Amino acid sequence: MRLACDTGGTFTDLVVENGEEIRLFKASTTPDDPVRGVLNALTLAAEHFGEDRTDFLARADMFIHGTTRAINAILTGNTARTAFLTTEGHPDVLVIREGGRIEPFNFTVPYPEPYVPRRLTFEIPERIEATGNVRTPLDEAAALKVIEKLKTLKVEAVAVCFLWSIVNAEHEKRMGELLAEHLPGVPFTLSHALNPTLREYRRASATAIDASLKPLMFDYLDSLTRRLREAGFAGRTLMVTSGGGIMDAEAVARAPIHSINSGPAMAPIAGRFYTDRDFDHAEAIVADTGGTTYDVSLVRDGRIPWTRETWIGQRFRGHMTGFPSVDVKSIGAGGGSIAWVDDGGLLRVGPQSAGSTPGPVAYGKGGTEPTVTDCSIILGYIDPDFFLGGTMVLDREAARKVLKEKIADRLGLSVEEAAASVLTLATEKMVGAIDEITINQGIDPSNAVLIGGGGAAGLNAVAVGRRLGCAGVLIPEAGSVLSAAGALMSDISSDYAQMHYTTSRRFAYDQVNAVLAELEARCKAFAEGPGAGALKVTTEFSVEARYMHQIWEIEVPMGLGRVKDEADLEALKEAFHATHKMIFEITDPDSDIEFVTWRAKVACKIREGGTGRLPAQEVAAQTEKRPIYFTQTGWTNAQVLRFESMPPNAPVTGPAIIESSFTTVVVDPGTHALRTDGGGLKITF
Amino acid sequence: MNVNVSIRRTDGVKTAILASRFESIARKMQNTLFRTARSGILNTAHDFSCVILTADCRLLAAAESLPSHTLTGPDIMCRYVMKYHPKLRRGDCFLHNSPYEGNSHAADHCLIVPVIDEDGILRFFVLAKAHQADCGNSRPSTYLGDVADVFEEGALIFSAAKIQSDYQDNEDLIRMCRARIRVPEQWWGDYLATLGSVRIGEREILELGKSFGWDELEDYAESWFDYSERKMADAICKLPSGKRLVTTAHDPFPGIPDGIPVKAAVEIDSEAGMIRVDLTDNPDCQPCGLNLTEGTSMSAAMVAIFNSLIDHTVPVNAGSFRRLDIKIRENCCVGIPQHPASCSVATTNLADRVANPVQRALAEIAPGYGMAETGPIMPPGMGVISGRDPRHDNEAFVNQVHIGVTGGAGTPVTDGFLSIIHVGNAGMCHLDCIEVDELHHPVFIAGRRLVPDTEGAGTFRGAPSMLAEFGPIDDCAMKVLYTADGTITPALGTRGGGAGGKTKARKRGRDGDLTELPACYGAELAAGETIVSYSSGGGGYGSPLERDPARVLHDLREGWITAARADAVYGLVTTGRAEDDTLAVDVAATRARRAVLASVA
Repeated sequence: MRLACDTGGTFTDLVVENGEEIRLFKASTTPDDPVRGVLNALTLAAEHFGEDRTDFLARADMFIHGTTRAINAILTGNTARTAFLTTEGHPDVLVIREGGRIEPFNFTVPYPEPYVPRRLTFEIPERIEATGNVRTPLDEAAALKVIEKLKTLKVEAVAVCFLWSIVNAEHEKRMGELLAEHLPGVPFTLSHALNPTLREYRRASATAIDASLKPLMFDYLDSLTRRLREAGFAGRTLMVTSGGGIMDAEAVARAPIHSINSGPAMAPIAGRFYTDRDFDHAEAIVADTGGTTYDVSLVRDGRIPWTRETWIGQRFRGHMTGFPSVDVKSIGAGGGSIAWVDDGGLLRVGPQSAGSTPGPVAYGKGGTEPTVTDCSIILGYIDPDFFLGGTMVLDREAARKVLKEKIADRLGLSVEEAAASVLTLATEKMVGAIDEITINQGIDPSNAVLIGGGGAAGLNAVAVGRRLGCAGVLIPEAGSVLSAAGALMSDISSDYAQMHYTTSRRFAYDQVNAVLAELEARCKAFAEGPGAGALKVTTEFSVEARYMHQIWEIEVPMGLGRVKDEADLEALKEAFHATHKMIFEITDPDSDIEFVTWRAKVACKIREGGTGRLPAQEVAAQTEKRPIYFTQTGWTNAQVLRFESMPPNAPVTGPAIIESSFTTVVVDPGTHALRTDGGGLKITF
Repeated sequence: MNVNVSIRRTDGVKTAILASRFESIARKMQNTLFRTARSGILNTAHDFSCVILTADCRLLAAAESLPSHTLTGPDIMCRYVMKYHPKLRRGDCFLHNSPYEGNSHAADHCLIVPVIDEDGILRFFVLAKAHQADCGNSRPSTYLGDVADVFEEGALIFSAAKIQSDYQDNEDLIRMCRARIRVPEQWWGDYLATLGSVRIGEREILELGKSFGWDELEDYAESWFDYSERKMADAICKLPSGKRLVTTAHDPFPGIPDGIPVKAAVEIDSEAGMIRVDLTDNPDCQPCGLNLTEGTSMSAAMVAIFNSLIDHTVPVNAGSFRRLDIKIRENCCVGIPQHPASCSVATTNLADRVANPVQRALAEIAPGYGMAETGPIMPPGMGVISGRDPRHDNEAFVNQVHIGVTGGAGTPVTDGFLSIIHVGNAGMCHLDCIEVDELHHPVFIAGRRLVPDTEGAGTFRGAPSMLAEFGPIDDCAMKVLYTADGTITPALGTRGGGAGGKTKARKRGRDGDLTELPACYGAELAAGETIVSYSSGGGGYGSPLERDPARVLHDLREGWITAARADAVYGLVTTGRAEDDTLAVDVAATRARRAVLASVA
């Protein structure tokens, strides 16, 4: 038995996989002590199985965990007091960043503060050149003086990022030795070891973030593993990572930056499995709808595109992690997004959100602004008496009243038309987010399937998919807990990188092959260590390359793990042109190519066939109807079906509503829904 | 009355949806260009813009782009396309960079595509403008300040030249560019990227027309313009009426030994909901490369106004522009240039000397609005470097670097944004990574850091100067061309705020000695020599004695200002020590100290 548990902002989702069956559980997240929420979810599951929690946990051999703990600590400024050591002459790496700004005329947003304040930043006399040549040797006496200052300032963690340490790590390594010796007990991170990527700001930023999380995440993971053990769990604890894989909890405690974007990174893993199963390996757009955010990721040719431009907070206003992670575009749109009419008479949705407190008006918890969820209730999409399986009764009349007063009257529309307009505009914003990530990754939405994840996905997933002209929409049976389901499907994995610059004109065969051999050896060591006992081990090589004089590299998959001769180089060049063409629609076949960073990723598969299935439920297939509203049809009496009781391959034509305890799917007029053999809900137009 | 209201009401939903669609198209154009561009100036520095215009050449939507590129200029350029090519066909694309016909400066190559529907009717224009690494100038820089006219400047000028018909390149023009542009491969790569951008915009608008109908899109455009005008009028009506005549001056350059004085008459007419700027009382075109174009003169004044509203929800398009009245005249250095005057530097130096006093004037008329002056630009840290690269068979290289520039002005609500670059840029361009520059070019960057006490002091202070020091690697010689303003006249503060630090340029010899360099210069550096660049700081807004003591303390702890300045300029008295990070505000003593400073002033 395996357990996957995802601690989100509002709910702690638990998926229990018992042989070929899965079961879903949701408990409230307990921000003061998140481990309690995890244990509560486990108690719910144990009760369901009619077992004592200790016995239940004793049967589990794996606990896979995702958490927002690290990201929340960063957003609330509760990380360790961290110092930043940098190359002499360049103290302002974290202040100057890479420039850039959004909203040219918005001067109400101040310039962001550096992740580590300038008063905790220290220049170390040393300098390595782009070639790796030492221009100024490390001044150890000066470095020791800085360490004395760190003691006085009582720093709790240290980040070290020197220029060109990715080419020659000598100085960073020595600095690490000095810190270990003279500042014992204070954790530190060295940039070349954590994130050997070109561009000093993002590497320094990743290093500083990682160091600042070390004390906190060590404590959290220590507490989690200890309390799980005390509760009776004797298996292996793994953490999901921003790269869409899983790692042992101890490894994440040593490099906690891996855990910061782990939630959204799991959704495409699940999305890939469900698309392969139900849509024959189509390209997929995976949209995870939360209460306040809408996260979009992609699957192309079975691969999940990565980015190294992940931001904590808004682009240019937050901090760049600079860490390779699954490419996820997040926008502030969800069930909690507030609808309003601006002073020019235009309808707006968001960016303000009612969140989970006070939440939508209909929740009756003090919300006074109409939200997207309120509109779904007004339109009859959400049954006020059957929300979350009937655990919460909603006040539809209150929602109507507020929407009439704040939106409908001001726009001169009926209440239901106003509600439908709010949903249309919310759909438009979501489509905008999808447009952006698909164009950046060179995917044509019309060939792709839209996967709707998250509890609120079904409310407009069909509308979003139709507006994009997608091949279809899929709501997986575990869609409401997509991240946790993804965690059950992911591989134990790690990736390694080494910069070595060379060009296609003067390709450095020997040096490149030496780099690749070294990367392969590290993958092998991982497979034999944390990955031991895997069903299958895959090592994939790639290189970040660009046309001569381009600035941004793209990641090019390498068929082979070596470049032995001209024929291999030719093949690599072809792969580059093809990848460039796929992403950007153009190639420049006569141009030389620059190769910058070489990568290897090792994935150790621990389960065949993705995950188990939700067991079918014997619910009487009674036909129920209720009035719902669409702009095209007006109020219409639509059939309402239970997701769990739908037989496979029996088509349903919209308008219809398909409900489960966790989600509601709106099947728009003229669209066709079908339960697949695998158990998902497939909607085509 | 009722009829009007109801039209306005139904628009509220459809207008919102189509506004989102058009914005999304402009953003797609922008992403395409950014991701595929070849030169550093585009894909690192982001020096490009993408816009959509109506068939009658009114600006409808712009991706987040450089304001100085987009506000006025695209409209004029599209009008010239129509003038020279009365019969536009699907598949056409025009290359335009003529400063006499709406463009900003010759280095900004624009591609303009008319969006033609199935019936052959012109519906919209899409335009992408991208700053080139080189545009065929007589010397390897896209900013030549010290040239007498366009002939000495030497740029290739294209006036609505048809570079594609039926989606096929006109190879004649391609060969001209390849023959006359240094680094032709970079130009070619950037051309492809820009072309991809306008073609994606065209494709998307054609699809939009199909799904909504062209009449509906035209209705939308009018409704969006009306909405935008209303928002603009509402924003202006919040300001008090008033007039100011403000002056400033660009530093002396070769060819203009006394510099260029600039005068702007600024008026807020709150009752009429109008802002008026008169730039006509200024010198004729000058024998140098600083003259503005029609597009950059107008845009400079408009940037200042949009900056000053402190309300970014006012859409920037031909609708809101109806509330602005900018007067310029022919043959004026801050107006419409007369051939053969050179406009090589038309996007930056003198344009800033228009925008800066205008936003300062607006602050003086309307407390709580307007802005201080942004730092003038083009220190050597933003120069164009060139030479031969010993690492690549002595291949020629030329590119503009963005190593060290700051300049943000104090505003009524925030401190100057550090990386604003200059007022017409709004921080849209990026700054270079040290490692990328050192990998890309044979350059060694010895250091870059902020300089304490160079911020324009204020209730909200300006951004400080940035020092950048760099030179060629071993076995390499390098030329750094730059056109720096702000060495004499700094960015002024407003409403009692102080001026920002001045621009400086120095050369460090092999033995470490420093020599001052002129404001507009081409520095030759041998291996072992470096250039030391100081960017201009931004001016402050409001009296520094009214700055929140917590903010002053922050600046002191963080080393943005020294203890001496915290005391003398901000009147801050502290307790504790910097060494163990225990500095704190002594509230009573600070109050007393400020009272003394205020009485002296």
